[in-house]
Amino acid sequence: MTHRVKTAAQVIALAGVAGLLALLVWSVVHQQHAPGVGSMAPAFTLRRLDGPGTISLASYRGKPVVLNFWASWCEPCKSEAAVLERDWATYRHHGVVFLGVDYHDLNSDARRFVSAHALTFPMLQDGSGSVTGRYGISQVPETYVLNRQGRVVAHLRGPITDPGFAGQFQTAISKARA
Amino acid sequence: MLRFAAVFVAALVFAAPASAACSHPRTSLDYLQGQVMCPTCHTTLAMSDSQAAQQIKGFIAKRIAACWTAQQIETALVANYGQGILAAPSHKGFDLLAWWLPIVGVLAGALVLAFGVWRWSRRKEPEEPDEPTDSGLDEETERRLDDLLARFD
Repeated sequence: MTHRVKTAAQVIALAGVAGLLALLVWSVVHQQHAPGVGSMAPAFTLRRLDGPGTISLASYRGKPVVLNFWASWCEPCKSEAAVLERDWATYRHHGVVFLGVDYHDLNSDARRFVSAHALTFPMLQDGSGSVTGRYGISQVPETYVLNRQGRVVAHLRGPITDPGFAGQFQTAISKARA
Repeated sequence: MLRFAAVFVAALVFAAPASAACSHPRTSLDYLQGQVMCPTCHTTLAMSDSQAAQQIKGFIAKRIAACWTAQQIETALVANYGQGILAAPSHKGFDLLAWWLPIVGVLAGALVLAFGVWRWSRRKEPEEPDEPTDSGLDEETERRLDDLLARFD
């Protein structure tokens, strides 16, 4: 009887250790990384910030997409907003889609930000950060440029107004349109 | 003295309407800072000074001033950020596991400990001798000793 209890305890302990190990492997395998250049951009459907309904990334397949992640509490996003709006006004006539994804933000503050900066491209809300997590966003602003097939052409970590990105953003849009 | 009186009167004038407007005890920013997470740094608001945390603290302070209850403020934050904004998991569905598993774990540990102690104490118990110990005397001497002792009875 004692031997049986001892064996059962050992089996339970071993199962516990195996379970913890499996959990560790699962978390490592499912760790979220930013999609690299050339890989498919993670699909998503998000609620609109600037109106009712949702927008899904898949609905823009066949068009180049500029995906900008921002937040109203982010200082660099303020200076970037005007440049994005200007570029949107230029590139929209060439079939390029601009999408803004508001990250970990209060919807009311985000709407005020959009209104204050007179942004007219579609805005989406990701309050929970589930989509931004899949894009490996660690700071805002960050911008992805996707080609017509939905593959990543460029990932700019920081405002596109950053002197280092000045040429890169335009080049990435040209590549995405090709 | 006059300055103190002026400050006291001003405090009464401004504070009285605010507290009178609430029909329930006002919740505090300190309390909610421990209940709400900073979404970008994954610590409670109390431990964070990030811009996102500052924004939420401002939101909470305004709602407290407007007499919102802690529950109402938490509900509004969950609607905006999702359930992950709360430091503690909810008391329903899958989240219940987070509440019950530690209790089950502690109980299971206590059971295992109790069983171990019980077994250990049984092993340490001194064994009762089955027979009286041998005196080391031969039968004749023992008999004579018994006779001698019998005289004193």
